[in-house]
Amino acid sequence: MSKSLKELRPVYVVGIGLHRYQFLSDTTYIDLALTAVRAALADADIEWPTVESAYVGRALLPMACGRPILRHLGATGIPIAHIENASASGSTAFRHACIEVASGMSDVSLALGVDKPMAIARSEGLTGIGNLADDAIAPFTHFALLAHQYATQYGVRHEDIALVAVKNHRNGAKNPFAQHQKERTLDEILGGKKISGTFTSLQCTPVGEGAAAVIVASEDGIKRLGINASRAMRVAASAGRSQKVNIDATRYDAVLTKQTAEVAFQESGISPRALDIVELHDAFTVEEVEYVEAMGICGEGEAISRLKDGEFDIGGRCAVSASGGLISMGHPIGPTGLGQIAEIARQLRGEAGNRQHPGARTGLAHMVGVGAVCYVHILQK
Amino acid sequence: MTAPNLLKPALYRAEGSVADPDRPALLGGACECGYVFFPLQTYGCERCGRTSLATRALSGTGKLLASARVHLHGGKTRTAPFTIVSVMLDDGPIVRTVLAGDDAVHPGDRMVTMLVPVTNAEGAERLDLRFAPQR
Repeated sequence: MSKSLKELRPVYVVGIGLHRYQFLSDTTYIDLALTAVRAALADADIEWPTVESAYVGRALLPMACGRPILRHLGATGIPIAHIENASASGSTAFRHACIEVASGMSDVSLALGVDKPMAIARSEGLTGIGNLADDAIAPFTHFALLAHQYATQYGVRHEDIALVAVKNHRNGAKNPFAQHQKERTLDEILGGKKISGTFTSLQCTPVGEGAAAVIVASEDGIKRLGINASRAMRVAASAGRSQKVNIDATRYDAVLTKQTAEVAFQESGISPRALDIVELHDAFTVEEVEYVEAMGICGEGEAISRLKDGEFDIGGRCAVSASGGLISMGHPIGPTGLGQIAEIARQLRGEAGNRQHPGARTGLAHMVGVGAVCYVHILQK
Repeated sequence: MTAPNLLKPALYRAEGSVADPDRPALLGGACECGYVFFPLQTYGCERCGRTSLATRALSGTGKLLASARVHLHGGKTRTAPFTIVSVMLDDGPIVRTVLAGDDAVHPGDRMVTMLVPVTNAEGAERLDLRFAPQR
């Protein structure tokens, strides 16, 4: 009979590190990644030779980027696996590092995410199955259509959905790792460059580069290496699912989110209403609205009123996108899911500074990826 | 009209369906399990995996679910702005494509297919299936 992660031996986040997410620059992916890994090692207060395996999440960088990075820490011969799962690449790398440690095969594993913007093709375009006009439907249009559907169904205005961007830019302004670090008024957001439907540019995640690293360890590893156990956050659940045939074929991201989150809540025994911190795939404002409802953090159709009441603010009932989310912190793709884990760990440790959500004890990280795939992790203090 | 005039003859035809002979039909598929889908593919049913899939001509009528005016487009084959519509066909599948014309549309509107002149990548004139509000 198969087991969930929680039924295997406990695994903890012990080290986190990032390179700021930023617009495309001359910084090499080596520098981006080494910055994040070295910061994670320093955060865990361990040396590189203690790490027993590495999972490298990337979606845009070409084949085999891992060893060109990691050899500069001193090549130790550890297994290096590259993971590509579209937007969920980093989340998937995290899951597999956790599985390796939880299984007992390793005591310490690294999940590293790194990417730089570049044009690549999607395999879906090579299936030989035609489409009416998919070349005209970029992700921002897919979500603009969903925003229109949501607004119509629940009678909300597009200005209301844009309030997600106001909150997330406000949070990102406090995050030194965020690509956008500037508070924006609703008028500034609504008055920005028109993209698709009711979306303006500041309601959409920017394109950028960056890196994020998370080190996970077992209790044996923590003891043996003298890691500070009070800063080690338990991975209480890891869930991964992919899209199935749905009655509503357009809302597959929300349906998949609900299915995946349910697995994570069941595994951890934690209720969605007990979450203190949520980092989710808010590449477009309407996504935050759809996913908090799909995960049961609030009821269907309630997200906007809860948002307006401040429930999802830092200091509210449940801080959603305290990092700034994909909208403000950014979405360099490979790193993104790992940056979420880093933010949650920081919050649970009480080390988030002026971004700190008081009393944070339980956090959830959610990513969806083209496919579609979905990964949900829950961390607990 | 003959097939070579259509931009994507594997996806639609000028002839209508049994349910609506006047509107160009979309060429979908159906599985024994009951799943109806667009476009036709013969790799295997996404619901049950069976490979014995039949062609099903889907009627060119449906209900508008949502629309989005696209202001930014990086590709070379189209020029923004244009409007994308999401239509739930009366036969079941949800399809997304370009709106024909500039009439305002609203969720719930009845939509119908029509063939619109376009220029293909080689510069030749073809007919592409789009949706327009039913008048």
